[in-house]
Amino acid sequence: MKIGLPRALLFHQYGDCWVSFLDALGLEPVVTDATTGDTVVTGTVYADNESCLPVKVFAGHLLDLKETADVILVPRVISQRPGMKACPKYLGLPDMARALDPDLPPVVAPIMDLSDRRARWVADWHQLALDLGKSRHAAGCAVDTLLGRLRESEERRAPAARGSMPIGVAGHLYNVHDQGASLGLLERLGAMGAEVFTVEQVPGRQVRHQLKTLPRKIKWDFESRIVGAVMHWSRTRSVEGVIYVSSFACGPGSMIGPLLEDQLSRERSVPLMTIILDEHSSEGGLVTRLEAFTDMLRRAPASRGRAARREVDGA
Amino acid sequence: MRMSVPRVGSLHYMVQDFCRRAGIGFVEPPAYRQDTIERGVAASPEHFCFPMKVLIGSAMESLEAGADTLVTVAGYGACRFNYFAELERRILEREGYEFQMIAFDSPRDSVPDFYRNLRAVTRGTSFHLPRVVKELSLVLDKGHVFDEITKKEIAIRALEAEDGAVDRAVRDSRALLADAFSKEEIAGARAAIASRFEEVPLELDRPHVSIGVTGEIMMAIEPYFNLDIERWLARKGAVVERSIYMSDLMTPFGRNPVQGWTDEEMERTADPYLCHEVGGHGQINVAAAVDYARRGFDAIVHFFPFTCLPEVIAKTIFVRLSSELKIPVLSLSIDEQTGRAGMQTRLEALLDLAWTTKRKKGSDHFLHSAAR
Repeated sequence: MKIGLPRALLFHQYGDCWVSFLDALGLEPVVTDATTGDTVVTGTVYADNESCLPVKVFAGHLLDLKETADVILVPRVISQRPGMKACPKYLGLPDMARALDPDLPPVVAPIMDLSDRRARWVADWHQLALDLGKSRHAAGCAVDTLLGRLRESEERRAPAARGSMPIGVAGHLYNVHDQGASLGLLERLGAMGAEVFTVEQVPGRQVRHQLKTLPRKIKWDFESRIVGAVMHWSRTRSVEGVIYVSSFACGPGSMIGPLLEDQLSRERSVPLMTIILDEHSSEGGLVTRLEAFTDMLRRAPASRGRAARREVDGA
Repeated sequence: MRMSVPRVGSLHYMVQDFCRRAGIGFVEPPAYRQDTIERGVAASPEHFCFPMKVLIGSAMESLEAGADTLVTVAGYGACRFNYFAELERRILEREGYEFQMIAFDSPRDSVPDFYRNLRAVTRGTSFHLPRVVKELSLVLDKGHVFDEITKKEIAIRALEAEDGAVDRAVRDSRALLADAFSKEEIAGARAAIASRFEEVPLELDRPHVSIGVTGEIMMAIEPYFNLDIERWLARKGAVVERSIYMSDLMTPFGRNPVQGWTDEEMERTADPYLCHEVGGHGQINVAAAVDYARRGFDAIVHFFPFTCLPEVIAKTIFVRLSSELKIPVLSLSIDEQTGRAGMQTRLEALLDLAWTTKRKKGSDHFLHSAAR
């Protein structure tokens, strides 16, 4: 039996866990290919016109599975840490998937609620394995594999390095790491001579430490990580500039964008540029803005130095 | 302290009532105008949703009218309104206003925070906690009666025998309710209001369609943003029901006295289409739509702010719901660019559809041909 997995949204974070669960069950996972222009176009046509870009991309991937999969797996991720909530789009994602096209293969939506330390949500996955015709033993093993992979994925972290022009790119995994959706943002920055840092490279402890300084707690898990990471970068001056990547119509993103602008300007910290992605984003526009930003950063320290020298001369 | 709250449905009515009981100064937020919207839009970030922009404009007006404390409810769960209070504070501070901000979270999230906020509001009054709880429950009772008036009013306005009969009944009812404070007085007012509505002359056999109004609370309730939809529909001969009332949302323990169902019943109704809450009022609206379809309504109007997260989910689901349950649904997204004429045209088209559906429902012949 072929189980389809759209390579979109939280697949970029939990995808390998889900795949390993299916592997352990001896089911064949069908993961869609990387996002292309066509994926975005199909998604835009089918998804609601007011959804955010990642949901449209998700819709594009979902429709790719129409012919190739027998069942589509769209886990309902409710929370990623205790006291946290996921964006409403994740909560309603399976229901939206079912409403998208009546001819889609059946969508199964086991719950994933990582705020529950006792992991009672795995009962849903266990039941899913039984429903797919597997034995109790096989189901139990698969669930263990899933939990094991989740623990590993929390510990995995890329090493941070300091280059000639460190730039922090803050944004959702599924925008920043989906080269199709973000028009190759990370590669382009690298080609312009920037050392790129992303949110998941900042240790969770630092993120939580920074978040405590905010007067009101952010309850969206992803977005709180972005805010914590940017505040860490800006307060330790470990980057020279921050690029905040969001998508048009992103709800939580539309709240933390202004928050970051306000916070960084109150602290008179590093420059921040916001890039809003949608299906109309063009490479030309993106490149121009990235060039302008990197040029500014390249010249800023020099001009600061000149101003300081002038002050000394004047005195 | 002179406090102010957002103007959404019966919220400011209830808070004003509480302030009168406790002897707290209250500044009624000025009615929405074009100017409110323009000022709010100018001060807000581009990607705020429309109600937030309006609330920023409205808060400025309240502060200029003499308020020094802004009290707000800090949103339901996952919707972006959750972080609004903090950003509103920052924006208004940047604009140079001086004030104190009290943002109430649901007591379900944190009881200590809720208590602390309650103390902050009632500081300087003689109220101790049990008294506060008692008065709040009376205020809620009054809010329910207030919303029940609306519920009756929109259900019968299209059938009134003489123009303005319903409006007069509403005016009298609100006057009856205004002076009711104790439990007995509120019960008395409720009975008096019921008999006042009995007196309204109706033409029950007048042809009409039934329309359900759903949507994000501010867009669905506040007449300024939705063409005064309930009156507009009544003029076109539609009996209206609305899915959402402010006093219901404030009521604890999953009860919704005005709407008449519990949260569990609501979730069960929505279950085939949306089996998890999605923040805001997405699930309530899906449940209401299922309910309208089952009860044979002729059409549903769905209002929401442009890019509203929960309502966009609801809108996506309405596409499937509409074709499966055979009920026309019109989703209207509203923001500062919305034009009245465009909205009117689409609503008129929906009404035409509703009348046609109604006529077809009456004729068996059509039903047979449709089934074939």
